[in-house]
Amino acid sequence: MAGLIETYVADLRRELDFDRLAAQRIANEVEDHLRESAEADPAWPSPDAERRAIERFGLGREIAAQFAADAIDRQARRTWMTVLACVIVTFVAMRLRVIWLDGETVSALAPLVDRYAFLGAIAAATVGWFALRRSLLALSLCLVGLGASIAAGFVRADLFAHGAPLGVLLTAGGEILLVGLLCVHLVGFGRQLRRTAALRGALR
Amino acid sequence: MLKGHLDAIVLAALEAGPAHGYAVIETIRARSGQTFDLPEGTIYPALHRLEQAGLLSSSWTTPPSGRRRRVYSLTKAGAAALARRRKDWTRFAGAVDSFLGGRAWPA
Repeated sequence: MAGLIETYVADLRRELDFDRLAAQRIANEVEDHLRESAEADPAWPSPDAERRAIERFGLGREIAAQFAADAIDRQARRTWMTVLACVIVTFVAMRLRVIWLDGETVSALAPLVDRYAFLGAIAAATVGWFALRRSLLALSLCLVGLGASIAAGFVRADLFAHGAPLGVLLTAGGEILLVGLLCVHLVGFGRQLRRTAALRGALR
Repeated sequence: MLKGHLDAIVLAALEAGPAHGYAVIETIRARSGQTFDLPEGTIYPALHRLEQAGLLSSSWTTPPSGRRRRVYSLTKAGAAALARRRKDWTRFAGAVDSFLGGRAWPA
């Protein structure tokens, strides 16, 4: 039968499943801590010594909630850095396409969407960056704006039919990659927010 | 009240030298005369957060007693952050003390 400390550590590891690498390390540290604490108890070795060590340590869910809150900040930072990279690459790609096309376009609507969706993404990014770093809405608006601008840019330039120069194609590839990466970060960020809310909710 | 200052307290506890989580919490208890009696687990999110911020570094060590431990040490950036937080705290505590004591600040 598993001891109290083993059970506590296994439960904590499960609560920390939002970051599997960290979960393993934290579980090892916590187990060492609890064993040292239990061994310092006058009643060691006994289940009472283990129980008291666990009581002094605190609720596993509360500790997991603190780790989850810190993980949100890290995930938000990574996501916003990706937004920044996306905005820069999209801007450069737009300029290269405009220079290459030199006024030519296969669609009248595409240049408008290209420009205003990009400006919308910049507006959402500015508000999000300065005021709403943990907002899924601001990030989603950025993603939609950038995605629409990039798609309109591709239609505008009719990239694949025109045989675009290498620089234009490379930046277009960069745009697709970064928007893909932003999608991944956004999904991860949403999952982290839900996980943290669930941990906090369970503590109430 | 203590929660907002936990990071600075952990940095101060590691000022004397590298230590593992259990030793850090023991140092905090001893140096505060048992006033800071936190749930021991609260120290680990703080240690990991400070490490992520580059203010602490850590590594696994195995002392002669045999139990593997994760030992944390203050980095250069951590020592500088501690000095800054200490200065801010001294100023803040002095101001609150004067205010509550009905004296003007700065004296």
